[in-house]
Amino acid sequence: MKNLNIINLTKGETFLHQLSGTTKVRLFAVLMVYVTMSFDLPIILPLFIVTIVGLVSLKPSWKVIKPVVIFVVAMNIVNIVLFWLANPHCGFEYTGDKTVLFAFTDYLVVTKGTFWYLTVRLLKMLTSFTTSLVFIMSITPSELAAGLTSLGLPYKLGSIVELAFRYIPDISRDYENISISMQCRGLELDAKKIKPIERLKQMIIILIPLIVTSFDRVGNISNAMDLRGFGKGKQRSYYSEYPERRNDTIFKVIYCLIALFCVYYIVSGLISPRDPKMWIYWS
Amino acid sequence: MLILGPSGCGKSTLANCINGLVPFSYPGEIQGSCKIAGTETSSSSIFNLSAVVGTVLQDSDAQFVGLSVGGDIAYALENDNMPREEMLPRVLNSATLVGMHEFLEHVPYNLSGGQKQRVSLAGIMHDHVKVLLFDEPLAALDPQMGNQAIDLIDQIQKNNNCTVVIIEHRLEDVLYRPVDRIILLEDGQIVADMTPNELLCSNIIVEKGIREPLYLQALKMAGCNVTIEDNPCNVFDINLDKYKDQLVSFYTSVDTSKPVEEKEVVLEVKNVDFSYDKKKALDDVSFSVNKADKIAVVGKNGAGKSTAAKLICGILRPDKGKVLLEGVDYLKYSIKELGQKIGYVMQNPNQMLVKDIIRDEVSLGLVLNGKSEEEIERNIEEALKKCDIWPMRNWPISVVSYGQKKRVTIASILAMNPEIILLDEPTAGQDYRVYTEIMSFLETLNRNYGITILFITHDMHLAIEYTDRAIVFADGKCIGDDSVFKILSNNDIIEQANLKQTSLYSLATRIGLNPEDFIESFIVAERRKRHEKS
Repeated sequence: MKNLNIINLTKGETFLHQLSGTTKVRLFAVLMVYVTMSFDLPIILPLFIVTIVGLVSLKPSWKVIKPVVIFVVAMNIVNIVLFWLANPHCGFEYTGDKTVLFAFTDYLVVTKGTFWYLTVRLLKMLTSFTTSLVFIMSITPSELAAGLTSLGLPYKLGSIVELAFRYIPDISRDYENISISMQCRGLELDAKKIKPIERLKQMIIILIPLIVTSFDRVGNISNAMDLRGFGKGKQRSYYSEYPERRNDTIFKVIYCLIALFCVYYIVSGLISPRDPKMWIYWS
Repeated sequence: MLILGPSGCGKSTLANCINGLVPFSYPGEIQGSCKIAGTETSSSSIFNLSAVVGTVLQDSDAQFVGLSVGGDIAYALENDNMPREEMLPRVLNSATLVGMHEFLEHVPYNLSGGQKQRVSLAGIMHDHVKVLLFDEPLAALDPQMGNQAIDLIDQIQKNNNCTVVIIEHRLEDVLYRPVDRIILLEDGQIVADMTPNELLCSNIIVEKGIREPLYLQALKMAGCNVTIEDNPCNVFDINLDKYKDQLVSFYTSVDTSKPVEEKEVVLEVKNVDFSYDKKKALDDVSFSVNKADKIAVVGKNGAGKSTAAKLICGILRPDKGKVLLEGVDYLKYSIKELGQKIGYVMQNPNQMLVKDIIRDEVSLGLVLNGKSEEEIERNIEEALKKCDIWPMRNWPISVVSYGQKKRVTIASILAMNPEIILLDEPTAGQDYRVYTEIMSFLETLNRNYGITILFITHDMHLAIEYTDRAIVFADGKCIGDDSVFKILSNNDIIEQANLKQTSLYSLATRIGLNPEDFIESFIVAERRKRHEKS
């Protein structure tokens, strides 16, 4: 077992994989600010394209990410439709356009302005999703721990994340074993034969021994960590964190520039509020 | 040095006093003095102590905290905040010492128990370590890996000139390499502190419930009175000249003829293939099980033992071939139905117990199968009585001992009246006393109630003492199916299955007897003795 679905446990080979954990975490943090701060298409669209390129460059296993992508896209579309149902004129505030394109009833109309607004909104959601996906797929839990520490967070936080990923496969193996023995004793887990609620109840029976055995393990893990000096100092170094290399330096410049731009954009928006109207209506 | 003693005797607590978990993680009252490298532990800290004392814990899975081999070895250095450039050569160096340098990038999930243990060892081999402390290093290893582990510990002790403290109850396996001193603990007190030779010649180990090495058992049974001058701590070095005639005459006199019994076949596995995805896990496996058999299923990890067990229980079904249960193809039974014919007892009772009260646990299987109230009452009473826990039926499970928990799990399987019971490593991690308790209980079940029992195990002692037949797996194939003494005197099988030659074999070769006959005579004589006792 090398990878847990979309999470890598070992460092990959591609350009983005090879960046250091610090670079990845900082870049991601800056980009999340960048994508949240506005509804401007000229700001969102380039990032969307860049993250798609980034995703392809990671050479992911499409079989693994397909269900995730389908799920997220579907949820976002549902979200947009609900937005529209709640207020078919929700785009007016941003675009000032009420031209009706299509009318189902008097209430349910599709206006040019709302259509535009919701499309941009969907794109914004998808951009934050693709950014996160690239981030998650390019980073290993150890790098994440190192990166979080580099942001000034206490290293114990990063270690919790790292440990969780370390023991998930162990726990799922325990779960499988327990479920086997319970099935032999007559527990029915076959989805076709019992109702979902019954099935849920049966799963809870399995959880009890799982929790007991996991607690046994926690004691051992914490002893093992104590005995190797965990929590000794205020600082901790990371074996899996490569020192800064040329590409990391380039990215450092890039994320610093983006950060500066974000600061400028937000501050200037505060000083003289921007016209909420969207880009295409600016001219 | 070896610290020896049954479970609960205080070995682990003593070890925790040495590595600093006592008093820093387990606070309590301490009297007296404990000095490590000249410093009183109570005035030190767990971090300072861990720089001097390196500990390898028993559970090699739980102590692997890194996400890769390299990361785990570096763990202590990371906590020291050592810059990465300094860390890399040290990690490589430690990994090379234990022979894991080619695995630095590997994740823990694909490593064997022995490999994980090596990684743990490498992780504590930094700079100032003066004492290496091993808590039950043999618990999770198959026999051959166990030998390799003891070998490695011995080598590292010699090369690095450090103190090694091993905590174990498997005396014979530790003595595979020389030990200077043995401390025997009982009820928190030291009852012996002597050289291995002195200890082996005294009667203390037998009295204190420690398993005597097999070759010494064999010698004593033949009436030989072994003394310290004979150097009895290793089967290869012991002086046998005086005892040779005595041994030969005793073992040729044992009557090994058995009445031939007609047995009916209950389970038949015929040319079964099974693959996970594309990996073949079982390849043309065939064997049969007779009623009231006691069979050991042995082989190294990943050889197909567990797959075979899952297949017999019906969790997995064969890709090719057939499994016949009482002459009927078992494909027609669901897992649930099969569960009432073939009972599966897991290794760790905590993974099986889901109820608070013993009788609820035992009745669970029957309730789930929708049996009538009377039938449930009748069956659980019978099962609880067979397992000798009827008086405890209303006790909460949390208060009973490990051995009793094991009985509860077995009772909950027995309540369903299965034809066959399949036990996965029934004695793993248990000391000799609990081991004897569990195994003699299973033997009684088999003898008095004619229940067929299959053991999945890598404990060769268990196979020798308690089973008649062994089925050996290696690389998904069934490479041996014969009486235990024949398997144990077959070098090819032993090597392929990562088993270990027992010391009986070496003893027989040294005195010039045929190992097969010798082991058989020993088994027969030993069982007769045990039956007389019980």
